Order: sequence, then C-alpha cells, then structure tokens
Amino acid sequence: MNIIETNNLTKTYGDFTAVNEISLHIQKGHVYGFLGPNGAGKSTTMKLFLGLTQPTGGSFQIDGKTYPKDRVPILKTIGSFIEAPAFYGNLTGEENLDIIRKILGLPRQSVTDALELVGLTQFKKRLAKRYSLGMKQRLGLAGALLGRPPILILDEPTNGLDPVGIHEIRSLIRSLPQQFNCTVLVSSHLLSEMELMADDIGILNHGQLLFEGTMEQLRQTAKANGFPTDNLEDTFLAMIDDDNRKRGQIR
Amino acid sequence: MILLLEIKKLKRTGCLPAFLGGAVLAAAFPLLNMLVRSETFTALPGEPFRILTDANWQMMAMLNILTIICGACMIYHTEYANNGAQKMAVLPVRTYQIFWGKFAVTVLALAGMLLFEIAALELCAMHWFPDYHLQLTALAKNLCFSLIAALPTIILMMLIASVCQNMWISLGIGVILVFTVSVFPKENLFLSLCPFNSPYQTLALAAQNGSEWIFTLICAAETIIFGIAAFIFDNVRRYFL
Repeated sequence: MNIIETNNLTKTYGDFTAVNEISLHIQKGHVYGFLGPNGAGKSTTMKLFLGLTQPTGGSFQIDGKTYPKDRVPILKTIGSFIEAPAFYGNLTGEENLDIIRKILGLPRQSVTDALELVGLTQFKKRLAKRYSLGMKQRLGLAGALLGRPPILILDEPTNGLDPVGIHEIRSLIRSLPQQFNCTVLVSSHLLSEMELMADDIGILNHGQLLFEGTMEQLRQTAKANGFPTDNLEDTFLAMIDDDNRKRGQIR
Repeated sequence: MILLLEIKKLKRTGCLPAFLGGAVLAAAFPLLNMLVRSETFTALPGEPFRILTDANWQMMAMLNILTIICGACMIYHTEYANNGAQKMAVLPVRTYQIFWGKFAVTVLALAGMLLFEIAALELCAMHWFPDYHLQLTALAKNLCFSLIAALPTIILMMLIASVCQNMWISLGIGVILVFTVSVFPKENLFLSLCPFNSPYQTLALAAQNGSEWIFTLICAAETIIFGIAAFIFDNVRRYFL
C-alpha cells in the first residue's frame, strides 16, 4: 500500500522546471531513498509534500489525504527536516522541542524521548545557536521525530555529521520502520549510506524521475541498460551521465 | 496557546526589555519637561492632564512608534534568523495564527507601555498641579484611545516585518515611514488617520474636534483591512517560494 503517491507532480519557477511530472509511489513502512545530483528537484519535491511551496501541476496524496484541502491533517502525520536545521537560536534545544511539542499536543515526556533518541540529552540546556552543526542537525532530527509521526521526510539528514554520527543516524533511520511503524522518505548524497538504508530508491535528474523501484530492480535495470552494477554509486553516476548525454543530444 | 508560544519564543531576544526601555524613556520625558520648565506649564489655563499631553504627547508617541518598529523587527527576526519560521510552516498550525499571535504580543506590550506613560502623566499632573485629583475613568479612556490609535501602525509594521526576511529592510521601511508621516499636519482628520500618524492623536484633541468615534472606528477598520492583507499574503506567498 502506498502512503505517498504523486501524479504528474510539477513545479516550475518562470521558465525553469524544478520538478517535471513525477509520479512517485512510496510504500507504507519502507525507507524510500531519494537520489539525485544537486538541483535535481529532491528538496523541491519534499517542500511540495509539506506545503512549503505550491505545485504548478499534478497532484499528490499522503495517507489518503489530498493537498491543499487537507494541508493541516497532512502535516499532523509528517515529521520533517528540510535542507538546513530550522530552530530558534535564542532558545535551548529543549525549549525548541517544547514549542513543537505544544503545537502537536504531545506529553512532556516526548521531548526527553526525542533528545535521548538523537543523543542530545546532555546538551538540552544549551542555547541552540551555540550548538555545533552536527548538534543542530540532531536537533532538527529530534524535532522531526517528536511524537513518532507515521511519515518522516528527511532531506540530507546526515549533512555536517562526523562518521560516528552518520553511522548512528543511519542505524536510527534504518530501525524507524520497525520501531515506530513509520515510513521514511530520505534524500542523501551519500550513496553508500543510502544503499545500506533504503528499501526503495527513486532517482531524479533535472526534475524528472529516471528510476523508481527496489535495489534489486535497480540492479536489473542497470544490467539491462549496460550500466555498472557493482555498487549504487557507479550505477547512479552512469544513469545520470547517460541521461545528461541524451538531453544534450535532444538540445 | 499561540499567544503563550509567541511570548515564549521571545525569551532572551531583548524584545520585552526593549518595550520596557521605550516605556521608561517615554514616561521620563514629561517628568524631565516638568522638572526643567514647570512654570511654563503650571501658568497655562485649562485642565492639567490636557496641558501635559499637549506638551509631551508628540515626543512620547514618536518613542512609542519607534519602539513598535523595533519590536516588530525583533519579533520577526527571531523567526527568520535560524529558519524557525520554516519549522512553524511544516507544523499543523495555520501560519496566519502565528501572525495574529505576534500582533497580540505587541498590542499587550504597547498596552503596558501606554499604562506606564499615562500613569507618569497623571503623576506629573498630581505633583505639579495641587488641585488635580487622579481620575481613573479618564485614565482608562485615554489608554484605550491611544491603544486603538496605535493598532493600524502595529499591524502594518507587523505585516512589513513578516514580508521582509532581512530585519534591516523592515527597520529601514519603518523609520522612513515614521519620518515621512511625521510631516503630515495633525489637524487634518484624513491624514491623521494614516498608520504611523494616528498614534500622535490624543483623546482630548479628537474630542475637541468631535471626531473621537470616527477616529476609533476608522482605526479599527484599518486594522481589519491590514489583517486581511496579512491573511492574503500568507496564502499567496507559497506560490512564490
């Protein structure tokens, strides 16, 4: 069963098309890896799901709800972390999460749980503006995980983390569907990490969806097209290169 | 709940001390004026509170407007500085409620300022005019009138601050508007109703012209119009992001 489904979703800015008629199918309880080079449209797609920007065309459904009619009910089911950590620098980590907790109507304990989950408990009384980039990243993740939402949308969640942090967050994301029965849509440039994390993959280039399916299906598709299949990175690079070449020929 | 959250967000921003500072400065003005040249005012005929407001309110109102501008800029800077506004936008809360929450915080802060300032005027009147007695009803009426007169300025400044993500741009616009509008004649009813000009109006002056109700109603209407503009802007901004 698909918890997120898009139908020819499009977003244009003037004559630039950031997202070009993509139709995604994200299954419930899966970790869906969203891959693409910079400017491919990953963040824009995620922003569309969160109502941060308005689609130019197409539609999407999240947990059976449609946008824009059900914007607030949709947001109740999503925990998100987009682009850069978003917080109030004048408040402590704990106070930041407490604001989110009050809006979501959650018990006080949920803040302690979220801080514990991302390993920020000992820094909870420190002002968020004094956090290191990695700690800000963790605070953003804690805000997304607060109340254990059924859907998580995470844009580059491991940016700025050290290797130990990356490992911890990867393990956490990997365990979320089993632990909290949630669905995760995650984008990352770290393809090796994605290979270990994701059940399904969506590859985006110039706003268009080049591939969608499981890792196994990706390998089969890559083999059929003569792309390398040793690891995800090689496959990804070959697919993007091939698409760019085709686009060049069309121009 | 939104109001409490908005108050909580202002922790350690210096916003509430700024309002307090503005109130102290504005309240000190009539006190200093009376300390330096009390004979000029005590010799004047008329009602003591009216004499004091006529002599001091222009400067006090300007300090109030500048405090509103600084307050609005600081309140929205807190939202934009570390992307807090984006986090709010992805939570199940309507963003225009946040706008109204911020507006309510500013109105409450200004109400506190006005109470402090009008109390200072009353104290001056009681101290320098021995026959004058405290009139609580008049104090309340003046407070309400001055607050209503400031509402269009508050809401327009909040709207400007919410539109501009860079605090210095909204601050600049606010300061330019203050000095542009300050040259408008205060006697002209139409011009005195403009945001950034209406706070200079006193209840006594409006009552003298028989325009206190028109003034109150039009200020309330302006507030509603700017409120609708904020609502529309909140809905259309997603198309441009």
